[in-house]
Amino acid sequence: MLKRTLSISCISLLCSIPAHAFDFDFQKALDIAKKVQQASKTVEEPDEIEIGHGIAANLLGASPLLANDKVQQYVNQVGRWVSLQTERPDLPWQFGVLESTDINAFATPGGTIFITQGLLLKLNNESELAGVLAHEMVHVLRKHHLAALQKSARMDIASDLAGEALKDKANSAIMDKAIKAGTEVYARGLDKDDEFEADRMGIVIATRAGYDPYGLPAVLQMLDESNAQDSSLALMFKTHPAPHDRLSLLDKEMGDRFDAYTAPTQTDKRFNSEIARDK
Amino acid sequence: MRYLYALILYAAFAAPVYAVQVAYAVRSTEIKLLPYSDAATVATLDEKAKVNILLRQGGWVKINSKNGNGWVRMLSVRSDSTGKKTGDSGLISLLNVGRSGSSGITTTTGIRGLSEEDLKNAQPNPAELEKLEKYAVNKAKAERFARDAKLKTQQLDYLPPDGNP
Repeated sequence: MLKRTLSISCISLLCSIPAHAFDFDFQKALDIAKKVQQASKTVEEPDEIEIGHGIAANLLGASPLLANDKVQQYVNQVGRWVSLQTERPDLPWQFGVLESTDINAFATPGGTIFITQGLLLKLNNESELAGVLAHEMVHVLRKHHLAALQKSARMDIASDLAGEALKDKANSAIMDKAIKAGTEVYARGLDKDDEFEADRMGIVIATRAGYDPYGLPAVLQMLDESNAQDSSLALMFKTHPAPHDRLSLLDKEMGDRFDAYTAPTQTDKRFNSEIARDK
Repeated sequence: MRYLYALILYAAFAAPVYAVQVAYAVRSTEIKLLPYSDAATVATLDEKAKVNILLRQGGWVKINSKNGNGWVRMLSVRSDSTGKKTGDSGLISLLNVGRSGSSGITTTTGIRGLSEEDLKNAQPNPAELEKLEKYAVNKAKAERFARDAKLKTQQLDYLPPDGNP
């Protein structure tokens, strides 16, 4: 799809030089075609991580970290343990609780995951937290945001991202553009299928880590019960498929496949002591 | 015996997630005596039947319904749209600016900062990023954390999309 869109813009670019139609520069056309192809190539892992850190710095500009070392440490321990059950256990995974009453969670390329204080307070146990973090991890594993930003960024940035330009570290302008384009993806959201994939793979990752497979579905049920007009859910609802649809798909996909897996019995105490609530 | 053990476990650890909640069946499903697929079937729950959810255990919820009482798969029921919560928790939190909680993360500051506009206009905060990096834990610490709560890894493959085999 990306290739096709870019090919079309490439063709229209070539067609838009009517005055010089007869001294058509084949070498130039070839160069452009080459660049376009690069846009669909993968971004190298160090660049993926650097873009991710840039986006994370921007998200932290919108909402700072919650000033509570204990809670941050706890979420990092849960998250890092879950990340070890993925196919990219050696990424520099890091987790942060954002001091925001909004209910949401974010992942940036290369392994930075955020959960808002608002969402954390809605959770009932460590399995639900693991489920949310695992869903976000899938966005990193499958490079959903990276693909979305390559798709949305202007052709020159997209091709530079995957091309030689990033190898020159002095070329920070391209990185800055990519980070800005990347941050905007969070306001717009990913494709629905990316979210469904993150649910489907996230429950498996959390289960591998020894957690209740139904942690994430329980969170989705909580969201399904919430008032859709609630302003703290506005961005989450705008950027995700309806919880009802996500649950329907999980119902089909999970079936009785998870009957053999049980919920942990010894994580509730620490969850309740770390995530103390007025209840 | 397995059931007895499960019942004891459940009595000790099942969190009362739901304080009687109204829901409806999104599909017809068997009502089981216990939360297991091989437990005795009590009755069949009609599609769209109203249920009261008493509690959840793993992938099962305990229900009362006109068809009968027992356990059904959690994903076979969905919250009743007429019973959905109203009000605005974000707004409530905003109104509670300055209220401080007893402990942990309950201090309500009322900071939002994550609207669509906020994200589009966000300026980088490198100092916070540096703080974030300090919170990261290594593999060994994460493994110790898992062992502390007797979390054990389980083997399973990713699922095919749409439930197709």
